[in-house]
Amino acid sequence: MTDKTFLMNKWILVALVVLCWALAASFMAGYYYYQYSDLSSKVKGQSITANLGISYGNGSATRWLNETKINSGSTLLDLTRLVASVNYTESLSGASVNAIDGVPSSGGKYWLWWSYSSYGWTFGQVACDRYVVGENETVVWYLEAFANAQPPS
Amino acid sequence: MNTVKIALIATFCALSIGTDYALVGVPNVKLMDLIVFLGGFLFGSVVGSSIGIVSWLIYGSINPYGFEPRIWVATMLVESVYGITGGLLRKALGSTSLSSERLRLSILFATMGFLPTVLYDLITNIVYASVYNSPIIVAIFLGAPFAVLHEGANFLIFGVCSVPTIVALRKLRKDDR
Repeated sequence: MTDKTFLMNKWILVALVVLCWALAASFMAGYYYYQYSDLSSKVKGQSITANLGISYGNGSATRWLNETKINSGSTLLDLTRLVASVNYTESLSGASVNAIDGVPSSGGKYWLWWSYSSYGWTFGQVACDRYVVGENETVVWYLEAFANAQPPS
Repeated sequence: MNTVKIALIATFCALSIGTDYALVGVPNVKLMDLIVFLGGFLFGSVVGSSIGIVSWLIYGSINPYGFEPRIWVATMLVESVYGITGGLLRKALGSTSLSSERLRLSILFATMGFLPTVLYDLITNIVYASVYNSPIIVAIFLGAPFAVLHEGANFLIFGVCSVPTIVALRKLRKDDR
């Protein structure tokens, strides 16, 4: 009854349980990814509407383009290019918008975006070409500094 | 190999095959894996893996879900991983008494039910994909709900049943440590 060293180290057991959980979670994440991809490809091409606002940051009122028709699966960049001229740079992390309708990001202000959902306004965490716009979704472009980023009023 | 051991091995094979047919209506929840593992733990890896191979040799050839030779051979061979795990775990635990530290042992056995099942599901999904010309990655991930059910079920079955069964069988063999 002396070979308990292996068992007495509770962290080995914790590590094994966490490993099991991580494997199961990873497999299920992969499953839902493929299900999502499959569903996206099935609904892609169907027409949906979305609301886009553009705030140029110079004190002017936000320009609203409500009920803009786009194809399902379109990204925020697709939606924006449909209604405005967009200058952007592509990189590994996605498209970075330099200017909208000729208004460039400058002086520490950048083109940032917010999305409205049932939880309220959410700051755009990903590049606009990585964000798929949903049915009747409202998205607003704001020219503002990161430090001053506030939800649209 | 004495007669008691041969009789126990034959009983293990019969039990694993019988429980598999009995649980045919419950996909991916089976006692066969536990029985093969217990065989390996009690009699060593060679005997344990033999129980797995023989069990699948019979169950796979008269399989209610159908018969495909390549999948049959793969499952037959991969089932032996439980027997090998059982044998290796017996060596790793050495002379540890199963009567003490039951909670820790149960958690350990639960994970030893889960991890070989991941390997089993991965290999059988890969073989299944290659037999039916499906993309391997897609087959692995689209089969995930069944695989996770199999792994979760084995986690629970091994965790709950292993220690009491081993203690009881050791008493039967009159060599309880």
